[in-house]
Amino acid sequence: MKTQKIVPALIIANVFALIIIGITKWISLYSSDAAGIFVFSDFVIVPMLMGMITAYSWRDFDLTGLEYAKYSIWNAFIAIACAYFFLDEGYICLIIVSPLLAGFVIAGAFLGKAMFRNNGNRMNVSIFSLLLLITIADSITAAPYENEVSDTMIINAPPEKVWPYVVAYEPIKEKEEYWLFRVGMPSPVQSTAEAYCEGAGRKCIFSNGYTFDEKMTVFKPAEDLTFDIVNQPRDPEIMGHIDILRGQFILKDNGDGTTTLTGNSWYRLYVMPSWYFDAWASSVTRNVHLRVMEHIKKLSEKNV
Amino acid sequence: MFDFIIKYFSFLKHIPLLPHIFDALIRLQTFVFNKKVLEHIDVIERTVLSWEKTSAGMHQYGGLQFNVNNREIGHIHSNGLVDVLLKKEIKEQLMKEGRVEDHHIFKRSGWVSLHLRTEQDKQLALELLEYSYLLKR
Repeated sequence: MKTQKIVPALIIANVFALIIIGITKWISLYSSDAAGIFVFSDFVIVPMLMGMITAYSWRDFDLTGLEYAKYSIWNAFIAIACAYFFLDEGYICLIIVSPLLAGFVIAGAFLGKAMFRNNGNRMNVSIFSLLLLITIADSITAAPYENEVSDTMIINAPPEKVWPYVVAYEPIKEKEEYWLFRVGMPSPVQSTAEAYCEGAGRKCIFSNGYTFDEKMTVFKPAEDLTFDIVNQPRDPEIMGHIDILRGQFILKDNGDGTTTLTGNSWYRLYVMPSWYFDAWASSVTRNVHLRVMEHIKKLSEKNV
Repeated sequence: MFDFIIKYFSFLKHIPLLPHIFDALIRLQTFVFNKKVLEHIDVIERTVLSWEKTSAGMHQYGGLQFNVNNREIGHIHSNGLVDVLLKKEIKEQLMKEGRVEDHHIFKRSGWVSLHLRTEQDKQLALELLEYSYLLKR
């Protein structure tokens, strides 16, 4: 009996979410800056509205707070499954987004519970409409977010010994330590270079076989290797979410036989809110840097 | 975690909806790691709402707030932290007995805090809320 009352609300909330996300995507196609962006509202306001829809449907049932939380988590879980099947999202992305989604669905459900308990229908309609309006406005005004991540490491070898491994290195065989790599996120494996000069192509190969095609734009031996990414891999975990724009290795001679190696990466995020997704993006980028730089350190120090 | 955020980021509580979202995230954490606390909150909610002229709503800084005659009796955050406003002398006596803690923000007031961990905590929370209810009824 209870299931008959719970399930329709979950279905309505998820159909509503798919429609709104479809509309925001469609709107964003007409804005050159925002094309294809998952806006702030898709992960914040839409989940809250989903929670409010269920709270409205359940307002006359005697559900406890624990049940509200439990069914809201189900609501978020169904939304994640829908994203997997209908939006073709990768499972790593869904792991990343799930706490955000569940949190906002629960927030919406409890806000809705309080709103509909007070029976202020006019105010409830206003809040609901306002949130919808913000969603539409958000999808019109959205813009991608760019950031840079920088990491530094001391290598016990002079820059001339380090440099060859910065340009290209043999496959990394060490076990992954970063938890996202261990659950299946592709990790960097190897870099290859077509030639050792400016303008030459370089490839960064990841553990799932996907490759970033790069072009070396600055090639100063033992000092600076900068490369632009000219072709992003067609990985569902990356496509439409993040573009890696540029990478750089700076080598600084410390004058005592050691080198300070700095790895920089620039990326553009297409998923909002940036305060949430940038924390993940910078964490992943940092761990890509560290895996590569640790490998370069090991190879360089072996030959000293 | 809750104490750390309250200590260093409490100025963010004035941003509309942010405390409620924070409370929802805490509820998610409590649901995963300490479901019993949510059961205690449900029992307290049912009991308090059975008292005459009481109502429940969202606390302005997140959590479940109980009122009587539009005056607050107390509120519960989703990690099971119960805040109740008492007379100062009652607060001092209870604190001497070690039964409650000073409020996590308003130290020089009649507010007391209590963590819902055990059945006894739940009973004490109900006693305090009833006391506050009788004062404001």
